[in-house]
Amino acid sequence: MGRHYLAIEQAYRDGTPTAWATSGTSVEMLYTFDVQPILPENAATISAAQKVSKKYIESAEDLGFSYDLCSYFKTNVGAMQNNAPIDLGGIKPPTFMVAADVICDTHVKWFQVQSQRYKVPLYIIDVPHVTSNTTNKQKEYYQSYVEEQMLELMDWISEITKKEYNEEKSREVITNSYELSEYWIKIFELRKTIPCPVSTKDTFGGLFPLFTMPGLKEPIRVFKKMYQETKERVDNGIGALENEQFRLLFEGIPFWYNLKFFGVLEQWGAIIVFEPYTYSFGKFLDPTMTKDYIINNPIKAMSKIMLSFWYIYDLETRVKEFKRVIKEWKIDGVILHNNLSCRPNSCGMYDLKQRLMEEEGIPSLVIEADMNDPRKMNEEQLKNKLESFMEILQKNKKQ
Amino acid sequence: MAYKIGYVDPSFNTPEELMMAANLIPYRIFGDPTIDLMDADKFVPPNHCFWARNCLQRGLNGLDKDIKGIIITHACDCSNREYDIWYSHVPYDFYYFLNAPLKRDKISLKFFINDLKELKFQLEEHFGAEITDKKLYEAINLTNEIRKLLKKISEYRNKGLLLGSEFHAIIKNAYKSDKKDVLHNLKEKLKKLEIKEPLPYVDGSKKRILLTGSILDDTEILIYLESLGFEIVTDDLCIGTRYFHNLIEITGDPIKDIANFHLSKPPYSTEHPSSGRFDFIKTLAEKYQVQGVICLVQKFCEPLLYEYPFFRDSFKKIGMPFIFLEKEYKRDSYKQLSTKLEAFKEILRGVKK
Ligand code: SF4
Ligand code: SF4
Repeated sequence: MGRHYLAIEQAYRDGTPTAWATSGTSVEMLYTFDVQPILPENAATISAAQKVSKKYIESAEDLGFSYDLCSYFKTNVGAMQNNAPIDLGGIKPPTFMVAADVICDTHVKWFQVQSQRYKVPLYIIDVPHVTSNTTNKQKEYYQSYVEEQMLELMDWISEITKKEYNEEKSREVITNSYELSEYWIKIFELRKTIPCPVSTKDTFGGLFPLFTMPGLKEPIRVFKKMYQETKERVDNGIGALENEQFRLLFEGIPFWYNLKFFGVLEQWGAIIVFEPYTYSFGKFLDPTMTKDYIINNPIKAMSKIMLSFWYIYDLETRVKEFKRVIKEWKIDGVILHNNLSCRPNSCGMYDLKQRLMEEEGIPSLVIEADMNDPRKMNEEQLKNKLESFMEILQKNKKQ
Repeated sequence: MAYKIGYVDPSFNTPEELMMAANLIPYRIFGDPTIDLMDADKFVPPNHCFWARNCLQRGLNGLDKDIKGIIITHACDCSNREYDIWYSHVPYDFYYFLNAPLKRDKISLKFFINDLKELKFQLEEHFGAEITDKKLYEAINLTNEIRKLLKKISEYRNKGLLLGSEFHAIIKNAYKSDKKDVLHNLKEKLKKLEIKEPLPYVDGSKKRILLTGSILDDTEILIYLESLGFEIVTDDLCIGTRYFHNLIEITGDPIKDIANFHLSKPPYSTEHPSSGRFDFIKTLAEKYQVQGVICLVQKFCEPLLYEYPFFRDSFKKIGMPFIFLEKEYKRDSYKQLSTKLEAFKEILRGVKK
């Protein structure tokens, strides 16, 4: 991660173009033009990990932003307002910004606000919403719409950076991104093993290059190493937890200010073996996106990614995919984080819970907290809820 | 009896004319602030928009029998994601999610036309109706007539002859009823208004305001504002000015004309760029010489909550008194707003008409 932030600092020093991007936006397009991407969400998680997100959130609220708005957004606003240093999640205004409503409309509102405040040009990619009954025919013209915007975005960036689009470079970037994701997905495949070789500590901690550096070579080496180590653990039957009893799925963004909380699970021999959130950043999940396809159609592939993002799957697909994961990863129980910041993710969560319990007989628990705002997490209450949940799992196992 | 299509639209981007041309009555679904939300609470987490939740509850309670299908139109995260919940729990054979675009440029227009064509195709397939250009233009002429009348009638608010709340009820009805009846009623209403004598301001204590915010579909909230001494002379709401501000321009390609109409309406907070919304409000505020702007926002309405500091600062810059209030979607909660509104009225006391 350090490398990414060093690159950002270097770009500001050299005066080369920088761009803020929301997650889910095509960071690959930025690398194609040698623009240094900066992901404010990622910076916000650093503020949380450094225990300063609360201060920044409150600072944004002092400016008039509601208690109920996304805490990533408020962390970003507050960090800028307080001139936070980079190691506390502070970032500077970029050359330009790119946002998309691929994951949430918050992204659009967030960048509208910040581009207005800092007078920075903004491009918005409008990504149509795929729902439970979207037809293939619809998906086709959705895809063309996104592609046309990507072409426009190319021209827009080209004008700002005074650089021509280079097809060779875009192939190289998308291929790097693909290889990075490939390792990530392969690590997830290894997590199917009992005992599970890596826990959330590694995935939540190791995730960030997928957001910030898809397109570069170095992170591939890091991920390859991570994969090899994981493979070795599997080959030697070593689990991340010594005495694995229960395998869990955790849906949602974790509490970045309190990642150690997940340690409580160990006392019951429980381990999280799958997180849709981290998995979704292995983004080439649409089976039509083969390596051949992406190399030959880099812009199409970048567009396709935005239309097939797991984190915002429609309800029917979400249920279907959860069921598949439960089987393949041998899940005993599901924890769903009703993240008070993230309405697109929490909407449908109650249905999801109900259907997993009724149709798969999988105990599922909804917990309420927030990924960046520690004021919205009640640790004691969560522990109690988890305790009761684990009792259910224990009973289930005995039967 | 003609069947209806119910549609949920937090802004106003649903093409009523397409449904009319398929011999269906477009019926905009509004919330009902008197109902209990027990069932919707089972599907939607507690901190999601109360208005969208309320509409869902109406669906769960069962809508009128003559409603034969549902369209939900893209606007914000809450309404978008709740589409799938409607789809799972409110049984209808016809469901369409209309991806009204976020932007208003050429690429978006092309996409919107494609999505409208798909909706046309699905309506035809499902209801066995042929939507011809001729029928579309008949519908367009009818809604254009309605818009012209509404525009004329709306001006009577400014003449002290029509209450803002009365006008709100009229326009709300226009969204829900057979458009032929709407046309007839509006003509009658206009006749009555035309013979009324314009009144000089007799009651100097009334404060002239512009009303803005999220969707405001409970006429009672306007009545409540009036009871506190505010006179709503204009607005930039979808149950208001955004419905009739523009006409559908006729060029020979009806679907394109409808798409164009929606993308050229005054901007809303769920769109990009949304800063034009302030400019539009400012123009109206100046035109109607209002003393202040009241922005009423549904609880947890993110698009508006993001706009608040920008609105606040922009109105301050132009010296226009402005109040932003988040409200619950329950009638008995309206009076909780009274202290702030009374204080706002005090501020307006010193502002010239
Ligand atoms: S947490 Fe949710 S609402 Fe906030 S930026 Fe992420 S996806 Fe959007
Ligand atoms: S009130 Fe706001 S959050 Fe609710 S549906 Fe309308 S725009 Fe969306």
